[in-house]
Amino acid sequence: MTHVLVVEDDPATAREIEAALQDHGFDVTHVDNGREGLVRAISDSYDVIVLDRMLPGALDGLGMLTALRASGIATPVLILSALSALDERVRGLRAGGDDYLTKPFEFIELTARLDALSRRRVAPSEERVNRLRVGNLELDLLKRSVKRGERTVELLPREYALLEYLVQHAEQVVTRTMLFEAVWNYAYDERTNVIEVHMGRLRRKVDGDGEEPMIHTIRGAGYVLRSPA
Amino acid sequence: MFSVHLREIPRTISFRTALMSLVLFSCSFLALFGYLYWQTAGYLLAEVDTALYRQIDSRSAQPEDLRLAEIRKHSEQDIDGRLPHGLYDAQGQLIAGAIIKMPASKVYDKPAEFNWKQPKKNKRPVRFILHRLDNGQTLMVAQDIHDIREFDELLVNAMVSGGSLLLVVGLLGAVGLGYAARRRLDVLTRSIERIVKGDLNERLPTRGNRDDIDRIATVVNQMLDELERLMSEVKGVCDDIAHDLRTPLTRLLAGLERAQRRHLREEEYQAAIDNAIEDAQGLLSTFRALLRISEIEASARRSSFAEIDLNRIAADAAEFFEPLAEERGIELTLNHAPAPCLIFGDAQLLFDATCNLLDNAIKFSPDHSRVQVAVMDTPDKRGLCVVDNGPGIPEAEREAVFRRLYRSESSRHTAGNGLGLSMVAAVARLHDMRLEVQDAQPGCRIELIVSA
Repeated sequence: MTHVLVVEDDPATAREIEAALQDHGFDVTHVDNGREGLVRAISDSYDVIVLDRMLPGALDGLGMLTALRASGIATPVLILSALSALDERVRGLRAGGDDYLTKPFEFIELTARLDALSRRRVAPSEERVNRLRVGNLELDLLKRSVKRGERTVELLPREYALLEYLVQHAEQVVTRTMLFEAVWNYAYDERTNVIEVHMGRLRRKVDGDGEEPMIHTIRGAGYVLRSPA
Repeated sequence: MFSVHLREIPRTISFRTALMSLVLFSCSFLALFGYLYWQTAGYLLAEVDTALYRQIDSRSAQPEDLRLAEIRKHSEQDIDGRLPHGLYDAQGQLIAGAIIKMPASKVYDKPAEFNWKQPKKNKRPVRFILHRLDNGQTLMVAQDIHDIREFDELLVNAMVSGGSLLLVVGLLGAVGLGYAARRRLDVLTRSIERIVKGDLNERLPTRGNRDDIDRIATVVNQMLDELERLMSEVKGVCDDIAHDLRTPLTRLLAGLERAQRRHLREEEYQAAIDNAIEDAQGLLSTFRALLRISEIEASARRSSFAEIDLNRIAADAAEFFEPLAEERGIELTLNHAPAPCLIFGDAQLLFDATCNLLDNAIKFSPDHSRVQVAVMDTPDKRGLCVVDNGPGIPEAEREAVFRRLYRSESSRHTAGNGLGLSMVAAVARLHDMRLEVQDAQPGCRIELIVSA
């Protein structure tokens, strides 16, 4: 089970986050200040930390994060903030954050990102992998070529990037915003319908006629790549 | 109603300035007059002294009997006593001359003064020199200086009366200036008070003579114009928000109430909840977009400015929208500049702005038409433009489309929150870019032009 530490001072928001994460199958611990959060994060072992940027008291979100990283704790941290300005985002990530989510957010977005963060921890990316495989779908990361069974799938560079991200996060829900940020390298976007069109194209190429579909749409959330049963 | 209390006048700057210059002027007046007085009076007395010495010299050089004769003769001729002489023996007794009694002063060969009492006449001021002659007698030559004294007096009188006049006129002037300034400021104050009370249409009165107060009033009026514009914009935005958010909220509520009222099956509840979530998410995204525009307008983001290539932005945006255009059979073309078009800006924001423009262009273009993204990099025009073959934007609406939540009549039924172009406008303002809407005949051409 994935253990999540939630550091959030607003009781209502914390309650909602806790409920959403528990429903998603996470084991949640909640603290409402930076000092306690730091102690917990250092003494217990968590898979991922959800950290509010604004916290009461001497230790705010960024302060706690800096202290955490200085103590050599590498637990992935997702920063929650009401400040969406790009500078804030950059500052948060620079202080050692792994992801950044602006309030108000949708819980599906939060859980999808936490899934990605905690999974990343299980399979460290330092390991050099040249091939990725999900079911009968195979990606050659060096040649940037894709095969489904014996069939070669011809993809445009952007489609390949989308598929690579999906494969890296196979069996996880990936939101449109996550895809956009990872593949287009621009942050924050509301034009999710455009991503849908891109995904539609990709899907037509990956899931050919008569093949078991691998790319599934999760309504109101995003996509998931599953190996055919 | 324009009455000015007298005790308020001394507090005005004009009054104080006038008073200060009055003091300075009085000082210089005193100095000038004092110098004049000292110079003329001293000069006249010096003239008298020279004449007296000359007479002493000539008289003492004369033989004794001639001198006696001449003094006697002179006394008879000088009836008015203009230049009285006196010759006294060693005991101080008069031998000859008009001045019977030798003055008490026993200083010789130095000019001195005394009041001479002539028989049957008033005392008159007289300047004299005593000289001891070789034969032991004392010679006295003198000159009536009554005229000089009178001249002095005249001079002093002139100074006193002139000075008083100066003071009176100056003080009156200061009071007048203070009064005028006070009155003018009162008018301004009253206008400002009305503005503070909420009448933003009020403007400070100006005289059009470009003086100090006029200039300040003009600047303040400009500030008020801007303030009024902002206030009306805020009000407009509030109205729009209230209006635009009421519709989806009503829909949301209606859906939930319907679900509550009817006895639905489980999957129907599911559908109702899904609809409600979708509506709420739509509302949330409108709020997010509004917040984002405010954030951009707070212009704190200049700190994230860097050198970026407009070609890259245009290419990314065109590539992002290409499948959407293709789906509708729209030909999306990219005309990039031959060389990198580098400007100082925020890549994220410019990308978003370009996407918004493209989104609109594709949304409003008919199927199988053309949309073009171009980077302009000529000496007189640098920037980015998006051209479509859609219905275009009527001349009258070209300003309004950049307002928050504005939806033109023709776009009411297309998806969107009316914030896309406002966001573009905010990005343009942050980058000091000009945003121009032109007629592409048919269609619309929107240009983002970097200010030179």
